[in-house]
Amino acid sequence: MKRLAPLLIVTVAVASMLFGQAPNQAILRTPAGDRVITIAKDAGQTLFAADEAMAGLGGSVSPDGTGFRATLNNVVAVFGPESRFAVVRDELIEMPSPPALVDGRPYVPWQFFQGFLGKAADQEVSWDPIGRVLQVRPAQHTVVGLQLSVANIQGISKVVATLSGPADYSIIKEQGAYTVRFKTPIKAPFTEQAYDDPYISKVKFSGNDLRLELKGPDIGADAYKLENPIRVVLDFRRVAAGSVPLPTVTGSRAVDAPGIRTIVLDPGHGGKEVGAIGRNGLLEKDATLILARRLADSLEAKLRTRVILTRTDDTVVPLDQRTAIANQYKADLFLSVHMNAAVVKGAHGSETYFLSLEASDELARKAAEVENASAKGNPPQSSDLKLILWDLAQQEYLNESSRFAQAVQEEMNRATGVQNRGVKQAPFKVLVGATMPAALVEVAFITNPDEEAKLKSDNFQKLMVDALTTAIERYKIDYETRIGVIRPPPATPPAPAAAANSNKRTGT
Amino acid sequence: MRRCVVLALVVAAASGCNKPAPLSHNLNVENKVTMRTVSLYFESPDLLLAAERRSLPLPENPAGALDLVLRELIKGSANAAVPSLFPSDTAVRGAYLLPDGTAFVDLGGPTLTEGWTTGSHQELMAVYSVVQTVTANFPEVKRVRMLVNGEPAETLGGHISLRRAFTPVPSVVAR
Repeated sequence: MKRLAPLLIVTVAVASMLFGQAPNQAILRTPAGDRVITIAKDAGQTLFAADEAMAGLGGSVSPDGTGFRATLNNVVAVFGPESRFAVVRDELIEMPSPPALVDGRPYVPWQFFQGFLGKAADQEVSWDPIGRVLQVRPAQHTVVGLQLSVANIQGISKVVATLSGPADYSIIKEQGAYTVRFKTPIKAPFTEQAYDDPYISKVKFSGNDLRLELKGPDIGADAYKLENPIRVVLDFRRVAAGSVPLPTVTGSRAVDAPGIRTIVLDPGHGGKEVGAIGRNGLLEKDATLILARRLADSLEAKLRTRVILTRTDDTVVPLDQRTAIANQYKADLFLSVHMNAAVVKGAHGSETYFLSLEASDELARKAAEVENASAKGNPPQSSDLKLILWDLAQQEYLNESSRFAQAVQEEMNRATGVQNRGVKQAPFKVLVGATMPAALVEVAFITNPDEEAKLKSDNFQKLMVDALTTAIERYKIDYETRIGVIRPPPATPPAPAAAANSNKRTGT
Repeated sequence: MRRCVVLALVVAAASGCNKPAPLSHNLNVENKVTMRTVSLYFESPDLLLAAERRSLPLPENPAGALDLVLRELIKGSANAAVPSLFPSDTAVRGAYLLPDGTAFVDLGGPTLTEGWTTGSHQELMAVYSVVQTVTANFPEVKRVRMLVNGEPAETLGGHISLRRAFTPVPSVVAR
């Protein structure tokens, strides 16, 4: 067959020259051999008969409403004649032009196969327009370097795999072991190593698998990814049979007791991400940092809480890293501090938000689908699973987040005497994925020159810090009363513990 | 190709396009242009989205009309006193409709590309001005996903997640 292929191309080329018409065929070249498929031209773009090509690749194409679905290895791509984008699960494949219909059959640009086969079969696709060959071959990955660290900090065993470049991965959980399966070849630092750690007994590298063997069946992990450099992090701790994390039994530290013990404050923006800008030049990133620092001092002084800031200086912290820091420190409360902006003149006052998500039924259904696919031996793509679970994380806390946001908004209104703008819900990126009650407060409109001037004043900052401290204290008492922790607020605030101050730092 | 066809009809130049006959069987529908009054949503002084009516020549096919309506939205209000929610250099790169009712709106332009410095309220209103305008004028659109420069983006300006599709939120719209 291989010897036939060049002959076929020559034949097509000669036929093209002889008859002077555009040939409507191309070669689909796969590791299994060559196959002739029908092509068409539309507005200078070569399009390929999707059904013929997918059949040649071992997949299929079927109608789906007014569009189509291509299936390969149980992965489905949905596409239609009106859109330049095909959808594979929740990811997009971009094509230079939309698919076209010829006699009711879909024709697609070659970039469709490039995107789809990359996701469904780990194959690379290239198109040679001179030779008319659509070439499909196994993806050639560059090897990614990996460094591993294992450390037990505050009762959590933190496994950090630092990567030299981007790599997709999935995490497979078994009884007594976790495996990080990379889809890109990795350069392992060692083959096998034993660890003197409370939870991790041994780490093994085999192929593209990083296998973490645990010291018991009741150890579970939270996994997340950090950028710059790219790190895959797994936090191991002892969990109950129902996979509910239990407080670690390393002593009677306040942070392990139920209730609001650790609060993460998130000063919005930072570094080159300046946020909104006031008419007289005040930057949101500066106003949020000043206020969050003062609030941290106030909370430590007035409440028995550990306070962690997601940034303590003028640096860029990615949005997902901010929630990851809160999750990493097992925070009991998360408050993101922002300054508002509006194009309408005269907008003023505070606003408090908590996260809005899709209807919980749909999310639950998606999570169930992923779990079912996993149970049937079709491990889902890691990014898909992560997205769904990440979204579900805050879902569980929405009632508490709503109560917390309500307390914040009421205290802000009381302090400023501004009309109640009410608590609102919106899909704030920084709140997605927080595994604790979480809210975002817009302290004042930096775009309103009056409020911009106030934000610079010590008196107004103190007023806001006091209002937020009261709000957090109110919520803390309310929550701890409801969960049965009898801990009325102390009549005289205790002096801040030295340990608490030393904990006030970013999570990186 | 589509732009060429639409343009040709608008200027009533029958021989405007010399390209070979297109493959899509939907072209007859796509070609038909009629005047239509659409509602464009801008922010009112009470900080809610309010409709402004505008008559436009639009293809009857919603997939062809989507990006034209969005370009009108981004141009801003006809009333100079109504401020624009988007940066003035924002471009609508395209808008696409999937069979399942998901509209993809692809925005670009220097400010959105390099980093928009804005606050939550403005960003939220900008996002929902697009969602409200698209869903109010095209009943076949059930949800809207926004892209920046053809790619899924985290946010437009650091606040509102674009990772999932938006459905209309009545509470941000003036009654």
